[in-house]
Amino acid sequence: MKLEIGRIYIKDIQLGNETSVKNGVLTVDKTSLIAKLKEDDRIKDVKIDIAKPGDKVRIIPVKDVIEPRVKISGGNNGFPGVTAKPAQCGEGRTHVLYGAAIVTVGDIVGFQEGVIDMWGEGAKWTPFSQTYNLTVDINVVDGIDPHTHEETVRLAGLRAAEFVGQAGKDITPDEVLTYEMGSIFEESNKYPNLPKVLYAEMMITQGLLHDTYIYGVNAQTILPALLHANEELDNAVISGNCVAACDKITTYQHQNNSTILDLYAQHGKEINFMGCIMVPEHTTLAGKMRASDYTRKLVKMLGADAVVVSEEGYGNPDSDLLIICKKCEKEGVKTVLITDECAGRDGMSQPLADTAAEAVAVVSGGNVSHVVTLPPADKVIGNAEAIAVLAGGWEGALLEDGSLQCELNAVIGSTSEIGYHNVTCRLY
Amino acid sequence: MIITNNPLVAEKYENVLWTDGSVEKTLIIVRDFIHQGYELVSHPLAASLRMLFSPYRSIIINNKKEKLNFEHAQIIEDSIIKYKKHMDLRKTDEKTRDDYKKIDLLLLEAALSEEKGKWY
Repeated sequence: MKLEIGRIYIKDIQLGNETSVKNGVLTVDKTSLIAKLKEDDRIKDVKIDIAKPGDKVRIIPVKDVIEPRVKISGGNNGFPGVTAKPAQCGEGRTHVLYGAAIVTVGDIVGFQEGVIDMWGEGAKWTPFSQTYNLTVDINVVDGIDPHTHEETVRLAGLRAAEFVGQAGKDITPDEVLTYEMGSIFEESNKYPNLPKVLYAEMMITQGLLHDTYIYGVNAQTILPALLHANEELDNAVISGNCVAACDKITTYQHQNNSTILDLYAQHGKEINFMGCIMVPEHTTLAGKMRASDYTRKLVKMLGADAVVVSEEGYGNPDSDLLIICKKCEKEGVKTVLITDECAGRDGMSQPLADTAAEAVAVVSGGNVSHVVTLPPADKVIGNAEAIAVLAGGWEGALLEDGSLQCELNAVIGSTSEIGYHNVTCRLY
Repeated sequence: MIITNNPLVAEKYENVLWTDGSVEKTLIIVRDFIHQGYELVSHPLAASLRMLFSPYRSIIINNKKEKLNFEHAQIIEDSIIKYKKHMDLRKTDEKTRDDYKKIDLLLLEAALSEEKGKWY
């Protein structure tokens, strides 16, 4: 399978009368985009805005972040199985508006958080303060049930990304990256002496606001599924989860999964990267046993020497992470785990309540309990009342000068468990 | 049996043990059942930090077995420790409690749907 990602560097964004990229400036035709989105009669109102790096703007509550792209050859445009007829992802050529992002804003429930500050202290903690963001704020018609509401906002974000992505169709990319990998047998023949490594990517799949979709299939209903490394990099996986802000994997982060990209970079050098197992995180213990057994079986069937396991979320998924670790290590398969930690405000507490003697190689995505102070914004895109919800966690969170104190868990993508974020580790 | 402090769940389902206490009290009731030999069907904790701040939680357990399930006892004990660790510093979100009621119910129903058509 061969995928070419053509990056078109975006250096600025504006609203205008056409949707185009000229000299790195992305212009979005707001009127046409709104008309396109309102084809969905569940949408009552759409507000489009822009937020650039450095602007004193706060976006809240963020539902998802999506990278705008267009398919040039192979497969189907958009998100096959969701916004387009089913097709193979991971082949052909895709143009990416690199540096731009669609940010969906939508109050599905009152306690949603997820903040992006485009400037100052808050900007340090989220990678989406560095992207040129087109915000899509969706209001749905009255009387809609929560599942339909979530679906409406999710689809609107994906369709907006598809609409904006078209601007890259006839543009020569600034850079073309090639991702190519043959069958497992071909790659193993090429690199017989390299350790065979699989990536097991856990996904939240537990119901409303806690879902992930692969080719449009709700992953709550699947057994762990084997994907070629190219598929997720080419729009096969989308996020339907918008509660755990810091460690939710946005659609953008699926499209640019750092763990896949890093494993790809070592393929043929230090490791033989065999592909991805998409592992659902169930809420039932039986589901956790089934998914971990099935993951172990795939790892053994494919003859992997090691598996990198990344988590999504916090709480019950910690159990899945360690069960997979224990089962694979027991079979002699080395594991590396990627998680985030709740190590108290000073970072000194025991980070995980679940422990396992077998978990000897663990990468931290950061401390979700770390407190940040966010100064007041000049402009709030979304729902300013959500800030009060955000600040409602403890006494004194809203300071006299209007600054608010919150834990990193409120900041989108701040402690990513697939490594697409700004935090790093320090030994001391 | 569903152990819950969520009135929406108590209204909608039979075979519910409802408590008017906190999430912590709900978890402790579950722990006591596990110590008597009952087993967990759903995990005591949700999958996201924000749901940890919910004033409501519903957990499914199944029939009493002859022996204590040590693994499940460990899971519920760890869950209580993890819950208390967070909530010693935070308050539950009271302003949006009605939304938490609904989402807790919907997540419970997702768990129940996973268990349909099974007999063990």
